[in-house]
Amino acid sequence: MIRRAVVNLCLFLFALSVIVPLLWVLMTAFKTGHEIFTSPWGLPHTPQWENFVRAWEEAGIARYFLNSLIVTLATLAILLPIGAMAAYVFARYPFRGAKWLFGAFLGGMMFPLFLTIVPLFFLLARLGMLDTLHGLTLVYVAYSLPFTVFVLTGFFQTLPQEMLEAALIDGCGHARAFWKVMLPLAKPGIIVVGVFNAIGLWNEYPLALVIMTSDERRTLPLGIANLLMVEQYQSDWGALFAGLVIVMLPVLLVYWLFRDRIHETMIAGALKG
Amino acid sequence: MKAGRYALIVTVLIAVSAVIVSCGRQQPTSSLEVACFKGGYGIDFFEQAAREYEKLHPGVKIKVWGNPRVWEQLRPRFVAGNPPDLTYPGWGMDHWALVYEGQVIPLDEYLDSPPYGKSEGKWRDTFEPSLLALCQYQGKTYMLPYFFSMLGWWYNKDMFEKNGWKPPRTWSELLALCEKIKAKGIAPITYQGIYPAYAVSGFLIPWAISAGGIEAFDNAQNLVPGAWKSPAFLKAAQMIDELRRRGYFQEGANGMDHTGAQMEFISGRAAMIPCGTWLHSEMRNVLPPNFRMGFMLPPVLDDGKGDPTAVGIGIEPWMVPTKGKNRELAIDFYKYMTSLEKAKQFVEQKGTLMSIRGSDQANYPEHLKEPVEVFRRAKTVWSVEYRQWYPKLGKEVEDATAALLAGNITPEQFVERLERAAEATRQDKNIPKHTYTRGKDR
Amino acid sequence: MTPRARAGFITLFLLPASALYALFVVIPVVQAFAFSLYRWRGISANRTFIGLENFQQLFNDPLVWRALSHNLLLFVGTSVVILTVSLALAHAVGAESALARFLRSVYLFPQVISLVVVAILWMFILNPSFGILNATLKAVGLKEWAITWLGNPYTALASIGVAHVWHALGFYIMLFAAALRTIPTDVMEAATLDGATGLVRLRYVTLPLLWAVLRIALVYMAIGTMNIFSLVFLMTQGGPDRATEVMLTYLYEQAFKHSEFGYATALAVVNFVLVMALSGAILTLFRHNPQEGRG
Repeated sequence: MIRRAVVNLCLFLFALSVIVPLLWVLMTAFKTGHEIFTSPWGLPHTPQWENFVRAWEEAGIARYFLNSLIVTLATLAILLPIGAMAAYVFARYPFRGAKWLFGAFLGGMMFPLFLTIVPLFFLLARLGMLDTLHGLTLVYVAYSLPFTVFVLTGFFQTLPQEMLEAALIDGCGHARAFWKVMLPLAKPGIIVVGVFNAIGLWNEYPLALVIMTSDERRTLPLGIANLLMVEQYQSDWGALFAGLVIVMLPVLLVYWLFRDRIHETMIAGALKG
Repeated sequence: MKAGRYALIVTVLIAVSAVIVSCGRQQPTSSLEVACFKGGYGIDFFEQAAREYEKLHPGVKIKVWGNPRVWEQLRPRFVAGNPPDLTYPGWGMDHWALVYEGQVIPLDEYLDSPPYGKSEGKWRDTFEPSLLALCQYQGKTYMLPYFFSMLGWWYNKDMFEKNGWKPPRTWSELLALCEKIKAKGIAPITYQGIYPAYAVSGFLIPWAISAGGIEAFDNAQNLVPGAWKSPAFLKAAQMIDELRRRGYFQEGANGMDHTGAQMEFISGRAAMIPCGTWLHSEMRNVLPPNFRMGFMLPPVLDDGKGDPTAVGIGIEPWMVPTKGKNRELAIDFYKYMTSLEKAKQFVEQKGTLMSIRGSDQANYPEHLKEPVEVFRRAKTVWSVEYRQWYPKLGKEVEDATAALLAGNITPEQFVERLERAAEATRQDKNIPKHTYTRGKDR
Repeated sequence: MTPRARAGFITLFLLPASALYALFVVIPVVQAFAFSLYRWRGISANRTFIGLENFQQLFNDPLVWRALSHNLLLFVGTSVVILTVSLALAHAVGAESALARFLRSVYLFPQVISLVVVAILWMFILNPSFGILNATLKAVGLKEWAITWLGNPYTALASIGVAHVWHALGFYIMLFAAALRTIPTDVMEAATLDGATGLVRLRYVTLPLLWAVLRIALVYMAIGTMNIFSLVFLMTQGGPDRATEVMLTYLYEQAFKHSEFGYATALAVVNFVLVMALSGAILTLFRHNPQEGRG
C-alpha cells in the first residue's frame, strides 16, 4: 500500500512538474517585459494581448506555419510507407547483408547532424533543390528514416507470425500480405512513429536553417529562432513568450488529437483484437 | 495517405511555380546583394539606404537581407564560391579566417579613392584612424568599420543621486563606495556571468592597462612571452579577486546571461554593471520610463601606470567578398552608407557612435552624451582583438575569468592559465599571427 | 516463394528508403569522414590533407576527455533515473482509468515542445535571483541551498541532466507502457494468480517480457546523451569554465567559432564511433534475456 502511495505521489509530482511550467509560459506571455523580470511568478497586471500581435506580425508566423505544415505532411506521406516497407523486410525477411544495411540505417541516428550540413548543402545545390520545399522534404524523409525503420522493425518483430502465415495460406502474395494484413496490424506502431516524426519535423531547426535561405520559405522553427534571437537583442520578452505559446499550442493540439488515436489503438491493441 | 499525397502535389506545385517565377523575373542592369547581421540595431537602416541609393542610381537594384545568425548561412556560401557582394557578417563570423583564405579583398586601393560623391580627398580620411587600424593584417586593410561601441561601466543615476554617491574614478573610491552600497542592501556590481567576455573587457583588461600601462595589454595581444602573466595582469586578477572576497559582486551573477544581469541593474538590485554602449538599445523595451543610467570608465588604480582616459571600443566590420559579382558597386554603396550625412542619421536613429569623423556632431540621445564625452577625452584607445585573432586563446581567457570570478582559482593560477594558453597559441604553427602596432591613437 | 522472387521482393521493399538514405545521408556522411583527414577552415574550398593528425591532436586534447566524461556521466545519471521512474510508473500509467489516460497525455508534453522552449523554461526555473526553485527553497527555510545552479561548476551538469530527464522521461514511460500492453494479459493474469506481485512480478515476468524494449530504450538513452547539444548550448554554453562542455558543444565551438572544420569532423567521427561502440556494448550485454537464458 505504501509502495502504491509512493507511485501515486510520483505520478502526481511529475504531472505537476510538467503542467506548472507550461502554465507559467502561458501566463508570462501576457505580461510586460518588466513584470517578467521583476515579478516572474506574479499574475500579469493587465493581460498584454499586444505581445501576441507583435509576435504574429514581427515573426510572420502565419506564413511559416503554412510552410511547416506542407513540409511536415509531405514528409510523412513519403516517409511512413517507405519506412514501413524497409522495416518489414528487416523484421521478417533475413537476407545476407541485412545486418550491415540495418546498421547503416542505425548509424544515421548517431552521426551528429550538423557536420553533414556542409556536404549536404553542395549536394542540394548541385541537384537544384536548395531553398525549395521539396528539397527540404526529401532531406527530411532521409533523415527521419533511421528512427522510423528502427522503431517499426521492432514493432513488426512483435507481430504474431501466424497472421502472416494465415494470409499467405489464403493465397496472398508477400507484398499483398504486407499491405493488407501486416501493415494494418502495425498501425499502433505507425501512428506512434508518425506522431513522433511529425513533432520532430515540426521542431526541426539546423537543416532548415541551411537549406532554406529565403525569408518567404522559412519554416516555423526558423521563424521562432529568429524571434528568439531578435528578442535577445531587443529584450521584448513578452513577445517572445507569446511566440512560444503560438508555437507550442498547435503542436500540443495536434498531439492531443493523435493522443486519442494512440490511446484507442493501445486499448484495442492489434494483438488483443 | 490521400491527404499526404495531396500535400505532396501541393508542395511540388509550389516549388515548380517558385522556379518559374524566379526565372521570369526581369534582371535589372546591375544588382547588389548585401547580407547583414541583424542585431540590436536591426537592418532597416541599411534597407532604407539601399532604397535611397537605388533612387540616386536608376537601374541599380540592391537586395539587403539579414538575420541574427546570418554567419551560419554565409559560411557554406563562401565555400561554394557564391558569396554576397557586400557583407556585415556579425560577431559570430570568424572574420580573420575569411582574410587568411583570401575570401575578402584588401580595400586600400578604394580607401585611397575619393569618398562618396566627391572627386577628391581620400575615403580613408573620413574614418576614425584608431578604428581603421583594427582592420589590418600584414599592412593591408581588409575590413571596414561602421558603428562602434565603447566599453565601460553603467551606473544607476537616480540611485546614486538619491544617496549622494559619486561615480568612483579610482580603486580606493570604488572600494569605499561599494561598502556604502552594500550597507544599503544593494549589490554594488553585477555582471553577465554566462558570457565572461563582459568581465574580461570590463574588469580584467582595463585594470591590467591601469596597472601596467597600455604596453602591458599590447604585449599580451602580440603574444610577447610572459605578457599574460605579467605583474599588470596579476594585479588586475587580484583586484577582481578582492571584489569577490569582499562580496561586492552580486550573488548569483556568475549564472546570469546578459539580459538577466542587465535586468538586475535596471531593476535597481545592482548599482553598477560593465557593459558596452549598446546597453540602452538592448534593454529599451524593458526600461522603466524614467530610468536614467550614467556611463563611466572602470575606476583605475590610484597610482596606476596607465592612461586614466584609456577607453575600450569594439567594431563589427563590413567586408567585400573576393567572389562577389559586383565589387565596384558594393564599394560605392558602402561609401554612400559611410557618408557624413548617413553616419549622422545612424547616430540619431540608432543611438550609437559612428566610426566616421565628424559624426559626433550629430544630436546624440541623452544616454550617449557621457560616452561621447569620454571618447572625446580619451588619449588611448584599445580593443580586444586577440579574441578574433586567436579564438582559442580568447575562450581560455574567458573561461579562466569565469573561474576567477567564482573563486575557483587564485589570481596566481589565473595568470598561469592565461600564459599557458598564450604559449599554446604561440607554438601552433597553423595559427597565423597578428601584430598590432600602436600609432598615434587620436 | 522462390529465392529469386524473394530477392526481388526484398529489393523492391528496401529500394526507396535505401536510395533516399544513401543520397542525402550516406554520401554527405562519407564526405564528412573524408574532411576529418584535412585541415580545413570551412570557409573556402582550400583544404590541406594531413592524414590522421587531427585524431592525434584529439587524443592529446584534455578538453575532449573532459567533454566525453560529461557525456558519460549524463548517460549513467539520467538513464538510471529514467529507467527507475519509468519502469515504476509505466504500469500505473498504462492502466485504463481516466486519470491514467490523462497522465499519459500530460507526460509527453515536454517531449512534444521544442528543446528551445525546454531550455528557456529551465533557465528561468533555475535563475538565481527570481527562479521558482530558489524562491521555494528560501520560502521553506533552506536559504543556503538557494545557489546559482547553472553558474556553479558542481551543479551545472546535474541541472542539465534534470532538464534532459524532464524532456525525455515521458517518452520512456510511454514506451514501457506501450510495451506492457503488448504482453498478453493472460500471462500477467496467470502471474498474478500465481501470487507474483510487485518486485517479484517485475523481476520474473515484466522485465523478461520487456527485454527487447529495454535494450532499445538503453540504446536510445546512450544516443540521446552522447548527442546532447541544444540544452547545453542554450542553458550554459558549456560553462562555467567547461563544467558542462559535452562532445557536440565542443565540436560546435571548434567548427563554427574556431573555424577548425577538419578537427571538428574528426571529433564527430570519434563521437560516432563511441556511440556505435556504446550501443553495441549495450546490445551485447543485454543480448540474453535472463529468463530465456535459463531455459
